[in-house]
Amino acid sequence: MAQADDMHTASGRFGLVAMLLAPIILVNSFVFLLPILNLFRISFNEALPGGGIGPGGTLENWYKLAEDSYYLEIMLRSVGMSLLVTLLALLCSYPIALYVHRAKGAWRTFLFVLVVSPLLTSAVVRTYGWIAMLADQGLINNALGLLGFSPLRLLYNQTGIVIGLTEILMPYMILALLAGFGRLDPRCEEAALTLGATPVQTFWRIIVPLTAPGIALGCLLCFVLCVSSFITPRILGGGRVFLLATEIYDQAIVTLNWPGAATLSILVLVIFGAALVVYTRAVNRLN
Amino acid sequence: MTFTRRILLAAAAAVTLAAAPAKAQTNLTFAGYSGLYQDLYMKAVIEPFMKANPDIKVTYYAPGNSAAILGALRAQKAAPQIDVAMMDISIAKAGSDEGLFDPIDEKVTPHVKDLYPQALMPGANLAGMTFDSLVLVYDKTLFKEPPKSWRALWAPEMDRKVALTGVPDILGIALTVMLEKMAGGTDWNHNLDKGIKEMETLAPRVLTWDPKPDLWNMIMAKQAGISVGYNARSQVFSEQPGSVLAATIPQEGTLFQINAVTLVKGAPQAAAARKLVDYMLSPEAQKTFSELMFYGPTNKKVQLAPAVVSRISPSDMSKVVDVDWLELAKIREKVTQDWRRRVIPLSK
Repeated sequence: MAQADDMHTASGRFGLVAMLLAPIILVNSFVFLLPILNLFRISFNEALPGGGIGPGGTLENWYKLAEDSYYLEIMLRSVGMSLLVTLLALLCSYPIALYVHRAKGAWRTFLFVLVVSPLLTSAVVRTYGWIAMLADQGLINNALGLLGFSPLRLLYNQTGIVIGLTEILMPYMILALLAGFGRLDPRCEEAALTLGATPVQTFWRIIVPLTAPGIALGCLLCFVLCVSSFITPRILGGGRVFLLATEIYDQAIVTLNWPGAATLSILVLVIFGAALVVYTRAVNRLN
Repeated sequence: MTFTRRILLAAAAAVTLAAAPAKAQTNLTFAGYSGLYQDLYMKAVIEPFMKANPDIKVTYYAPGNSAAILGALRAQKAAPQIDVAMMDISIAKAGSDEGLFDPIDEKVTPHVKDLYPQALMPGANLAGMTFDSLVLVYDKTLFKEPPKSWRALWAPEMDRKVALTGVPDILGIALTVMLEKMAGGTDWNHNLDKGIKEMETLAPRVLTWDPKPDLWNMIMAKQAGISVGYNARSQVFSEQPGSVLAATIPQEGTLFQINAVTLVKGAPQAAAARKLVDYMLSPEAQKTFSELMFYGPTNKKVQLAPAVVSRISPSDMSKVVDVDWLELAKIREKVTQDWRRRVIPLSK
């Protein structure tokens, strides 16, 4: 009898779960899965000069991707730059996140709002703000000039993109780090210090390992956002820095080569998949 | 009769009354460029058309540039929602080849026979509606007199003040064609090698190859000093109060940019769509829009005021370099590759 009851509740729970998940599964299959499959299909269409889409069933787009070293180059550049931005965002965000985590009461709330507030402004507006800072006659170069240094080329190149993206992705990194700081118990730090560890040892052997899940999550989030970010590289790159996202835009919108753009989009998805695998392995090892 | 029933009957009557005029009204969708173009085209052409045809209501749908409009049409191929669409003529040709459009001939509008030959493309279902051309756009406070040559891009005081739109954008290819011709090239529809070499010498002086938000705003904000753009927009921006922007056609000549109108195949309002296309190509609509936004009319019968003619380029047709964009499309990929491997690396 008790067994039957158990079975009854189990199937009831399953029904409930299915019911709760159904809307999101339905929405995702129509607005995410279906378009992705369509993209996959278009990547096998022939690209005609002048922007036409030819018949399907050709592997030409994929051959081109594999043969032309240019695509390997932009892929490596995209991944390399995203890793650099992720690292910089982590280095800049970690102390802030740790400080916010340790703050108390209203002060903590205030700091938290401060961290989130950049997200209330669109990335486009913040990117234009960086133009004013980084331009040849911008804030930074004028300050350098006053100090007697020669101006630096900070805008319309890769340096500009890295600076802009790092700042724009920092709120996400801080939020992810804060979410992962739950396991950080101040008593562990106190214990380490009373047992004679130096602050540096405490940081590397207690704080960093305990906050590692947050670091992993933040890095995954930043990396994925960075590879797919388009507006900031477009505005700060000055047409000099070719990345996967800008290349997809050029092919889809400028040269109207939809099959080529679709092929590159699938490649980006594969990179995301690889990032997820790395993340999952890292988290499993941490646990 | 209960109270509820009375209300229901009254509501039904109200709906019938409201529906009666709506039934007679046709809802037409026109897809065109966004921003400044949309504002002025609504004012000059769409609104007068609706006034003349009170039974037709036109909705201006602006998904973005030509490519975005073609994208919307492709996506709706099975069940079109757009009746009339405009886009760059080379992109309209691609759409026509894919079978997205119905022909625009004398059965649609008698104005077709009055169009300049450049406005029509044999075998393609489209009709040119505006002419525009390539101009040097510059900050007039930085030049004592208007620049006379495309070589002004190389002026020493313009170092790191040049904002160009790079290849594969049409503007980038158009400038490369112009430079090819200036360097002595003769077969610019098939080979742009000399133009690319010229670009290589210009590359170190360029501030950006991707002006944002656009080249006109960069010059008006004094972030750049000189650029290459389209005449019509340049004329409108030069008129704004306090604007430092000016535009000129250099002596070496210019290139055409043509916008074309298309009739969408299987459009829900085919009859009204033909009416709109007829009006768009009429001397009346062409004249009003030319006077407002300085696009050249494609209808030969348009008579413009001299003050407008001088600002619509090119007043001298012999200055126009004859370019076959369809032939150029075939080498676009090679040009893009050369551009990335030879020009951009020199522009640090």
